[in-house]
Amino acid sequence: MRRLTVDVVVIGGGSTGAGVIRDVAMRGYRAVLVERADLGQGTTGRFHGLLHSGGRYVVSDPESARECAAENAILTRIQAGAIESTGGYFVTCPGDDPGFAEQFLAGAKASGVQAREVGVAEALRNEPRLNPGILRAIEVADGAVDGWQLVWGAANSAREYGAEILTYHQVTKIETANGQVRAVHCRDLKGDQDVQINCDFVLNCAGAWAGQIATMAGAHPVEVVAGRGIMIAMNHRLTNRVLNRLVYPTDGDILVPAHTVSIIGTTDVLAHDPDDLEIPSAEVQQLLDAGEVLIPGFRDTRALHAWAGVRPLIKDDRVGAADTRHMSRGMAVIDHTLRDDLEGMLTIGGGKLTTYRLMAEHIVDKMCRKRGETRPCRTAEEEVPKAGAGHSHRVTDRLAAREADRADDQLVCECELVSRKMFVDALVAQPQASFDDLRRQLRLGMGPCQGGFCTLRATGIAVSEGNLDAERATELLRLFLANRWIGLWPILHGQQVRQAALDSWIFQGTLDVEHLPNPEVAVTR
Amino acid sequence: MSTDQQRESGLIITPEGLAFAGHQLSRASLDACIKCTICETQCPVAAVTPLFSGPKFVGPQAERFRNGESVDHSLDYCSSCGTCTLVCPEGVQIAELNSQARAVMKAKKMPLRDRLIGQTTLMGKVMTPVAPIAQAALNNKPIRVAMEAMLGVHRDAPMPPPQSQSFEAWFRKRPRPTEPAPRGAVVFFHGCAGGYFEVETSKQSVEVLEHLGFEVLVPKQGCCGLAQQSNGLFGGATKSVLKLCDDLRSAGTDLTIISASGSCTGMLKHEAHEIMGVDDERLRDVGTRIRDIMEFLLDLHEAGELPTDFAQTELTVPYHAPCQLKSQGMGKPALEVLKLIPGLTVIDSNQACCGIAGTYGLKKEKYEVAQAVGQPLFDMVKATNSELALCDTETCRWQIEKSSGVRTEHPIWMIHHAYGLS
Amino acid sequence: MSRVVVIGAGLAGLVAANRLADTGCDVVLLHQGLGGLQSGQGTIDIFGYNPGRVTNPIKAVAAETRRRVPAGSLSHPYKALGVKAVRVGVEYLKQVLPELLVGSVESNYQLPTAVGAIRPTCLAQPSMVAGDVAADLELAIVGFEQLKDFNPELVAQNLNRTELAGGGRVNARHLLLEFRARQGPLGSPREGELDSSALSYARAFDDRRYRVLFAKTLAPKLAQGETVGLPAVLGLQDPNAWADLAELLGHAVFEIPLPPPSVPGIRLNQALTARALSLGVRTVPGVRVLGFAVEAGRVVSVRTQPGVATRDYRGAAFVLATGGFEAGGLAMDSYGSITETLFELPLVGLQNQSLQADYWGDQPLFNCGLQVDAQLRPIGASGEPVYANLHAVGGILAGSSGWRDKSGDGVAVASAVAAADAIAKELA
Repeated sequence: MRRLTVDVVVIGGGSTGAGVIRDVAMRGYRAVLVERADLGQGTTGRFHGLLHSGGRYVVSDPESARECAAENAILTRIQAGAIESTGGYFVTCPGDDPGFAEQFLAGAKASGVQAREVGVAEALRNEPRLNPGILRAIEVADGAVDGWQLVWGAANSAREYGAEILTYHQVTKIETANGQVRAVHCRDLKGDQDVQINCDFVLNCAGAWAGQIATMAGAHPVEVVAGRGIMIAMNHRLTNRVLNRLVYPTDGDILVPAHTVSIIGTTDVLAHDPDDLEIPSAEVQQLLDAGEVLIPGFRDTRALHAWAGVRPLIKDDRVGAADTRHMSRGMAVIDHTLRDDLEGMLTIGGGKLTTYRLMAEHIVDKMCRKRGETRPCRTAEEEVPKAGAGHSHRVTDRLAAREADRADDQLVCECELVSRKMFVDALVAQPQASFDDLRRQLRLGMGPCQGGFCTLRATGIAVSEGNLDAERATELLRLFLANRWIGLWPILHGQQVRQAALDSWIFQGTLDVEHLPNPEVAVTR
Repeated sequence: MSTDQQRESGLIITPEGLAFAGHQLSRASLDACIKCTICETQCPVAAVTPLFSGPKFVGPQAERFRNGESVDHSLDYCSSCGTCTLVCPEGVQIAELNSQARAVMKAKKMPLRDRLIGQTTLMGKVMTPVAPIAQAALNNKPIRVAMEAMLGVHRDAPMPPPQSQSFEAWFRKRPRPTEPAPRGAVVFFHGCAGGYFEVETSKQSVEVLEHLGFEVLVPKQGCCGLAQQSNGLFGGATKSVLKLCDDLRSAGTDLTIISASGSCTGMLKHEAHEIMGVDDERLRDVGTRIRDIMEFLLDLHEAGELPTDFAQTELTVPYHAPCQLKSQGMGKPALEVLKLIPGLTVIDSNQACCGIAGTYGLKKEKYEVAQAVGQPLFDMVKATNSELALCDTETCRWQIEKSSGVRTEHPIWMIHHAYGLS
Repeated sequence: MSRVVVIGAGLAGLVAANRLADTGCDVVLLHQGLGGLQSGQGTIDIFGYNPGRVTNPIKAVAAETRRRVPAGSLSHPYKALGVKAVRVGVEYLKQVLPELLVGSVESNYQLPTAVGAIRPTCLAQPSMVAGDVAADLELAIVGFEQLKDFNPELVAQNLNRTELAGGGRVNARHLLLEFRARQGPLGSPREGELDSSALSYARAFDDRRYRVLFAKTLAPKLAQGETVGLPAVLGLQDPNAWADLAELLGHAVFEIPLPPPSVPGIRLNQALTARALSLGVRTVPGVRVLGFAVEAGRVVSVRTQPGVATRDYRGAAFVLATGGFEAGGLAMDSYGSITETLFELPLVGLQNQSLQADYWGDQPLFNCGLQVDAQLRPIGASGEPVYANLHAVGGILAGSSGWRDKSGDGVAVASAVAAADAIAKELA
């Protein structure tokens, strides 16, 4: 049993938790973050990569729009390396109401979101694949954001301020005495030991799982409505900017050029269990159709991978429970003192990745007030470490880096240009990481071949450089392949079928990985 | 990029990216890449130098990161031989992607040399009337050293042999055939090299066609723009190729067009369309009617219309099919036609490339690479016949001849002999 | 002499072209790019798992031909081909590639893979067979730091923890050498290339001086009696490079196939292609067949479009060897509709749910394909051939996923030879 004593325990390693741990650490609290899996493995890593300009909400939710616009500017400054400022268009597609543009422009003006109508010809010149039948186009400051880099940036910043980040630590119990939180008990899943963290405050940032955590502390159930959405990554950049449909927010109306791919999103269906998310073929078809409206020929381009994520929305009486899209995207902080007679815990829900920093500011402000302390938030002023040397990420960065070191290093993942050094550095820093954990930080195996060529190389390096024995390395290889398949089979068609078949020839045909001896205990992380 | 540079390159580079029709087509083809690595195994440049990251890397892989910008200048080690596209089982236009990326790169910084050696007609016109002087200059070491320093053309690179008389002049001045032409008319496209440097090949082609009973028409004709295209100068190349289409169409709109210049034929058949995205009715028309001369002879043979009264020729010769011919998707027709000559044994080099790849092997920084690429071919040629080799395109013949010391002729030379025309 | 057009240059297409040329046909081989041989392991699988590990492949084929298949289920292609076709095909391949393939249909080799699994295969290259595992075999698995697709430590450790089918284990250790394939870029301070492909090594091993140097480096590190396992890079053009290296080392040596690019696969591809060319087969690479013409129930020509113009190839018979999904012979579009991409031939094995969530389970998609008659002609629901002179061979046939049961090469070779013989008989 490991024992720790801190001021604050942050539960949840998504964007909210990472933003909160950074904020509390910067305000001088001793703090620990616990996450049952890897950072950004939940909702944060399962969205479309859009850094909102606010445009999407100018009509439906002006308050969110205003927050997005402000936070977009802040994040672009403090976490430049995680963000690509692509710009975006809202376009009126054939059949959409051209009059909505007026509402949009008025809403944008009212909420302070930059928006400028551009001519259709200009839009088509800048985006040659865009549907030539569009009627209007409005330019906004949308961008692409890498959720994992965002989260790791915040977590690393927190570490510099003395915080500890415990991934693969599952909360087993929240200990209270006399109506006051005393400790958080966890299971270290990789180290296989119990951990007790004494504290007097818990910040529940578990997103879609926040209800489960609140219950552990004996609070009345917090109703988190999980809105499941699926996203599909297409093989390359079909557009230079984010494309949005200029309509009241609906399904399949966003296409984001994120890193090397284009991500179409998303659907919105009520999910009952955030740990059991399916990718139904009807929704895949729906997104492909939606893509076809924005980009004619979309169905013939190559779909690489799909995933499902859940929006953690705190239930709001203003809209029906089944309509998760139009629930408040604004953040909600639940004070358990008033609600449950429980001191030392706050729960946060709602919000969106773009406003993750602001959410943290709100909840930590509230905690300070409750503790009777005045410690101002400084997260908007200070850059996170290694934020990208002041310049925003560009898709060309990795190609330029490999051009520079091509004679001095090996290429491990050819699709996403991950060098051996990048992989080894990440592996050495996180010796217990699975290949999926490393993937989220490096984009290993996220390109067209979906691990077909890099996985064996990664396995070999893990044995030579990472001190893994062949059994664990082999199991990580198998786990990686099986996990890739989860996001592959629901969208497998066209060129990606060829790839899946070739990959099968490699792993099952040439290497015969399925006939290696099985371990006594299955490796799952 | 300035407007002038854009005009020169023929590209529109928007603030974010590259936009022209050909690029959209090739970029779409990268979706077909399944990373199988077949292109890498066949790339003749990657085989001899680690300077080039290989076609899979600079093609479908790097293209996903380019966003219309040029950040990976090592792609210029690609010789554009097209082997990668030819061997790709998935239909990825790898070489085309590389050519387009090079065009973006060159649009920003174009060496004077690449402009000069791209202007083949100009070079030929300048050199023909003063052939002895030009030849002397090109054989003159100090002059070549100066060219290397100023223009970046390697001092030992093969240079075209200037002729005292152009093909056009010969065609105009020669005695007209007196026999009627029972098979009707065909149009002959000689290309710049066939007009100014490889005059004998053009003459022999015309004589073979006339021997077979065709009337040969030779309209006044300009350059196809291939050298400009391969140096990334799409604007000039597009103008040239369309002008050429007009020239060739002026002789008749339904006649077969025949050429002995394999590379220029390739430009008209597919490169102008696939690489530069030229989408024009005139190009489609000419591209549909044009035949390589050996392809034309093979078609005649398949139709049972080629006389095979070839003279017995006891000879073993090496044959090298040039990259630009192989890219035309017709196999190696010369091999099939030469099989018809009794006694003749033709040995296929089976080598991907001679190294010259148009103008690649002329360049100072590429010369060594190009020589290494061609070495197995040069060895094979010398070992097979030290006096004669066959190859369909001009620059490859110059390269083979210069580097192996073996006289290298177009396959039509052999046919001309075997028909007793020389 | 009758013209036969073969479409596709994988193992099936190349074997068919060779066999047809042997029988005196005038063969045109149309193919888009190089075939799949060099993406494979460079051995000839007949039957590896059925579903247990197979030691006698021809016996397993015979058992498969006798297996009762429930109505509505697909039968393995071997059921239609029969044991004799497999024997004839494999014997033919051994006969045309005597330097490159050894083994017998009666037994499988059990050879280490590049991840350290032990893989059954029927015919192997002579350079591989010293790796046929046996209890207490002392192995030194040797890799190169510059060759990222082969980690000898992973291979050795995985071999050591594997209980052999016949009991016992091998005893493997690993050596990772810093031994470069070639020089680095000119003018670079590097001593050599750091990220070399298998091809770069194979070309280097073609040179005896390189082998001598390598043997000098490796030999002192070996223990007496050790068998040396190396990545399959021991020569591309020189078929005796491996044997020469073994002699220089004074140790038995074997090659372990790598993921693509597969040098052993390239050797097979080169040898079959060269043989076809020497027999007068006319190859037209770089073309995709896009259309065809039919007269009186027979295919009379197929159409290519290499540039802006089209080109037709007429023939008395046609062999469809375009492969499965990986090669583009079969395709599934975004609506889930599955087609044979050239002739739109009727497919069997189509299911509502063609893919399923378990990565390690069978994926019905990859079992669908063409059903053929005794002459390998695709048939429709009526059982009649769709076209009287169109034959289909290799991965496009329905009933198996070759990578799972390790039967892909056997199906390709047996079907190619059977189709070629049927055509030759028909045209005679």
